[in-house]
Amino acid sequence: MIPTTALATASTAAAAEPSPVLALANTPVLWICALGVFLVVAVQSVIYMKAARKAAPAVGMTPQELRTSFRTGAIAAVGPSLAVVLVAIALLALFGTPATLVRIGLIGSVSFETAAASIAAGTTGAELGGPTYTPQVFAIVFFAMSMGGAMWMLATLILTPLLQRGGHKLEKVNPALMTVVPAAALLGAFISLGLAEVPKSPVHVITLLTSAAVMGLCLVLARVPGLRWLREWGLGIAILVGLTAAYLAHSAGLGPVG
Amino acid sequence: MTATLTGPQTAAGMGEFERTTSRWGRLTMIAGLVFSLAGPLYLVFFADLGVTATQLFTAFAAVAGTFFVIWLVEPLTYFPILGSASMYQAFMIGNISNKLLPAALIAQSSIGAKPGTPRGSLAAVMAICGAAAVHLVSLFVFVGLLGTWLISVIPPDVTEVVRIYVLPSVMGAVIIQAIVSLKQVRATIVAFVVAVLVLFVLVPLVPSLAMVATAIVVLTTLVIGWFVRKREAGAGQDATPEVP
Repeated sequence: MIPTTALATASTAAAAEPSPVLALANTPVLWICALGVFLVVAVQSVIYMKAARKAAPAVGMTPQELRTSFRTGAIAAVGPSLAVVLVAIALLALFGTPATLVRIGLIGSVSFETAAASIAAGTTGAELGGPTYTPQVFAIVFFAMSMGGAMWMLATLILTPLLQRGGHKLEKVNPALMTVVPAAALLGAFISLGLAEVPKSPVHVITLLTSAAVMGLCLVLARVPGLRWLREWGLGIAILVGLTAAYLAHSAGLGPVG
Repeated sequence: MTATLTGPQTAAGMGEFERTTSRWGRLTMIAGLVFSLAGPLYLVFFADLGVTATQLFTAFAAVAGTFFVIWLVEPLTYFPILGSASMYQAFMIGNISNKLLPAALIAQSSIGAKPGTPRGSLAAVMAICGAAAVHLVSLFVFVGLLGTWLISVIPPDVTEVVRIYVLPSVMGAVIIQAIVSLKQVRATIVAFVVAVLVLFVLVPLVPSLAMVATAIVVLTTLVIGWFVRKREAGAGQDATPEVP
């Protein structure tokens, strides 16, 4: 009984101040690193646009066409970017702002990063977001997510020059291998991580099922011509409705004990 | 369109473009890599949290066991669509299939350029720059500034619920998205059966396997999924990845 009460007081005390994890996750050094990634992407874009402007006349492209391409890309990205914003805001309470900006907003995606975070937290015996989610666990989780993202970049850095030089040899790999294997890996990972939430508490089950049902509904409705935007907004909507269900069920006392 | 200008002039112009973007694309990506690792490394070495090398290695190994296939396959899948210049953009900006590819394709069609041609590549690069600009601004304003403020005014009991349950709410939606977009019925069934057996039979029997459970599910699903895959009549040429 005593540990439970102690924990309860600790969390009430923490409620007034930001939680220790969020205090650590929002330290200025992490903000500077996050803004560094933003700056790098911006600089890269400027260099690329200059190079494109220089090459354009040789391939018969007018400055007007370059501008049109830029503007079209920008407009096409508004919807998907705002959809990512919605998802990212839902994860601020878990990862803090700088980590969310870099991991969810830029380099990674919400599915891979939360999956990696959950796996990494599991290796320490902690539960992501639960009472065992300490600053130390956050550091390990953030490290594992970032290293995972680094592997993607490393693979890009190594494979792109090879593919560029080696013609298209690697693309002639059995096409079934290139579809079935990654699909099986993704399905195995996400289904396993989803089912691992089931034993945690009835609220976890309700949240999982609600979010899955809302996503399914969004994807079905997205087939209606006027509702295609639901394809990209589905994830954010499903997460929000799932969290609303979680809040109601948690308030009804169905949450994890202790 | 492009046919009128093929020849040495085009080749020279695109050659220089390829050289510049390859060199600077690689350098900027390495810079992005360094910045993205600097944050966690700072916490590990200077925040005095008592993190051990073993903990870091174990956590990374568990993530690697689950995702190493995807690390290799994604660059291979997107290279033919993006071309080398955009590869260095796309894997740093993220959200490739749901944002960057559509942006590039719409831009190409708006100026009547075909993918794979020099005009198509330049249009794609410009479109991705445009998408990156919008994305950076909206992330900074709506997540960086507005989101941080929002978190500070939301009642603590709400943020606590969000923190505890955001993982199942993400996973529920992501599972459905994966099942619908990948369209691999057999692999889906295999994944469900394997995951149930590993999580609710194997792990209770051998609790020490809990931390690598996901990796075990992924590798088993991969092997079984490959043997029970739907074999196409012919050489399986129609089984190429579906791209919009």
